[in-house]
Amino acid sequence: MGKIKVASQWLESCAGCHMSFLDIDERIVELLKYVELSSTPITDLKHPPEEGVDVGILTGGIGNEEEKAEAKLMRDRCKILIALGDCAVTGGICTMRNFFDTEEVLRRGYIETESTVDGEIPHHEDLTPLTDRVMGVGDVVPVDIYLPGCPPSADAIWFVLTELLEGRMPKLEGKVLKYGSDGG
Amino acid sequence: MSEIHLTINGKPVVAQSGQTILEAAKQADIDIPVLCHHPALANWGACRMCLVEVKGMRGLQTSCTCPATEGMEVETETEKVVAVRKFVLELLFSERNHYCMYCQMSGDCELQDLAYRYGLDHWTYPRPFEKMEVDASRKYFIMDPNRCILCSRCIRACSEIAANHTLGLRDRGARTMVVADLDVPFGESTCVECGTCLQVCPTGALIDAKSAYGGREKDVIHTQTTCMQCSVGCDLDVVTRYQRLLRVDGVWESEPSGGLLCVDGRFKPLYEKRQRVTGPLVRKDGKLVAAGWNEALGIVAEKLQSGSCQGLAYCATTDEALTAFARLFAKVDGAAGRIEPQVAPLGFGQVAKVQDVLDADVIIVTGAQPLEYQRVIGYFIHRAADQGAQVAVITDDENGLSARAAMTLTSAEAGKAVETAAGAGKVVVVYGTEIKPEVIAALKPLGDEAYILALDPARNAQGATAAGLQPQEPSDVDVLYFLLGEQSEDAALLAKVNGAFKIVQAAYHSPLVDQADVVLPTPIWVERTGHVTNLDGSAKPLHAALLMPENVRDEAEALAALADMIG
Repeated sequence: MGKIKVASQWLESCAGCHMSFLDIDERIVELLKYVELSSTPITDLKHPPEEGVDVGILTGGIGNEEEKAEAKLMRDRCKILIALGDCAVTGGICTMRNFFDTEEVLRRGYIETESTVDGEIPHHEDLTPLTDRVMGVGDVVPVDIYLPGCPPSADAIWFVLTELLEGRMPKLEGKVLKYGSDGG
Repeated sequence: MSEIHLTINGKPVVAQSGQTILEAAKQADIDIPVLCHHPALANWGACRMCLVEVKGMRGLQTSCTCPATEGMEVETETEKVVAVRKFVLELLFSERNHYCMYCQMSGDCELQDLAYRYGLDHWTYPRPFEKMEVDASRKYFIMDPNRCILCSRCIRACSEIAANHTLGLRDRGARTMVVADLDVPFGESTCVECGTCLQVCPTGALIDAKSAYGGREKDVIHTQTTCMQCSVGCDLDVVTRYQRLLRVDGVWESEPSGGLLCVDGRFKPLYEKRQRVTGPLVRKDGKLVAAGWNEALGIVAEKLQSGSCQGLAYCATTDEALTAFARLFAKVDGAAGRIEPQVAPLGFGQVAKVQDVLDADVIIVTGAQPLEYQRVIGYFIHRAADQGAQVAVITDDENGLSARAAMTLTSAEAGKAVETAAGAGKVVVVYGTEIKPEVIAALKPLGDEAYILALDPARNAQGATAAGLQPQEPSDVDVLYFLLGEQSEDAALLAKVNGAFKIVQAAYHSPLVDQADVVLPTPIWVERTGHVTNLDGSAKPLHAALLMPENVRDEAEALAALADMIG
């Protein structure tokens, strides 16, 4: 049997979920016996290959058109999609901007911040527009596995991946559902 | 009450008639999840978490309100029940703005616990992202409606326990909000800051300003002790971490207050601003300077034997300290007394306990302001009034209880209160030092049937009485010894202090401490061990939740050491 192909991408995210994945430490060596890491944010290959992967992992919420497109691309090119971390599951802390309209958010960020002098809201054809609201991945594409946590613990991530390797759909309960190693 | 037999999850359970399914299950160690239910509050049946299947009954039943009956067959965790609970949790999480990642209750939150229990890894309903303002207009605790699940525990606590009726609901459906009075900021409302709502909130909607983020339940230490802020003597659950005072909670099912506290017991002591006396001080060349205990006690022992002396205590300390104080002065042939005035007995009636107020039919209040000084008794009077008790306030001045009393009478009209009491069941007279002789005379016909609750203004009045300390004025002696504890002197006392050699035993600096010739430090409430005797006459234990500062000694110990030195 060939290796299982896994791709990941971060969307509107602090990168903490990918850090938590790396916290599986030396278990990554064991994992790589069975898994081929395809595209990730830190590999040369940035997008899942056209021929597709077995498992796609998305971290972060969806707050702009580019992220929406990334989520759709991953969904199209993977068999099982994991929304990893609170932002991917519910939009997470990024949804705090949903209490304001996007214009207000940009103005606050680029003009009204206390340290800004003569600020302006950047406009350029290369800049992707914000969506009206930040969403979870599941609000844009169907998700197969939700792994909440801010971030989910390395053990929880390990549990989900190893369950999939065993051919089971992971059922999250107990400690792996709680975020923080102490279940707080 | 008769025994009934039912099965819960196939297990035979014996319950009492009148018990709910939830109560029967609890007795049988079967855990049914709840959110709106709280053992100290009336059952509500609002949150639908406690739904169970009962054979033969249509739909699912709220076990917190459904009475257990003979032969009932209950299932608490069927597939159907679990699916409904999960559905309810999804609705609760999607309705408002629950951000566990930065909520101070994360880890201790009843809503979060249930999400974990039922494996809620996401929810499917869209969130409205309604913008809700946090209300931080109160000093001691904050209301964040974003985290409110409208369980109404706070509202019931405010009405049923504190009998203050500040909290209520505004609007209906998705627009429903918990509000104070007619939707005014909490800090401008009729809230008395007793904090009972804070203690029963299952989520992070009510936030204690002091303890938020200070430590989760698994990190903290709980120490049960007795409140020393007034003579009621409520049980306290003191929460600490790393020798830091985080929070004070009430203790359900404790006497006399049943978990109810007031702002003076729950919050104010955590915001103490006075400067602490951290070690003995003696006056040298006109200045108070730090000294060792042996030196300071040596000077005191010598002074007490060298001339006439008088000891005056605020009854703000332990039974043990007051007894040791009286003993010391007996030994040196000095007078010893208490500083606070004492409530004289009325000469009729039977001694009431604090809880007698709760089931009274008529309550007569006179010469006392319990809403100001023994607040829990004030709230108890409100609670009794809610239950239909007639409250008569006899006063020639303003009294906070008048607002909800059946009648407010002048001293001259006191007889009308006796008329009201005639033929009524249980009559309780609550009185204090300001009672007028003509009122005592007018109330005398109530006779020995009446229950009499004397609100002594001193915190440990009963302890002082047991030690034989009666009110005294400072007299013209060579040495004056003041045992203040945490109570700083009032201006009237200070004005009466003469040029005697002054020894002051106090926890905090004050003008009297600063004039003293010898200062001995004392512990504060949260550091105390020993006992305090409350209004009900029960000697309640004190347990130290924090260590005393290194150079502080308990008064009883210091006074005993002095007695030994005098020999």
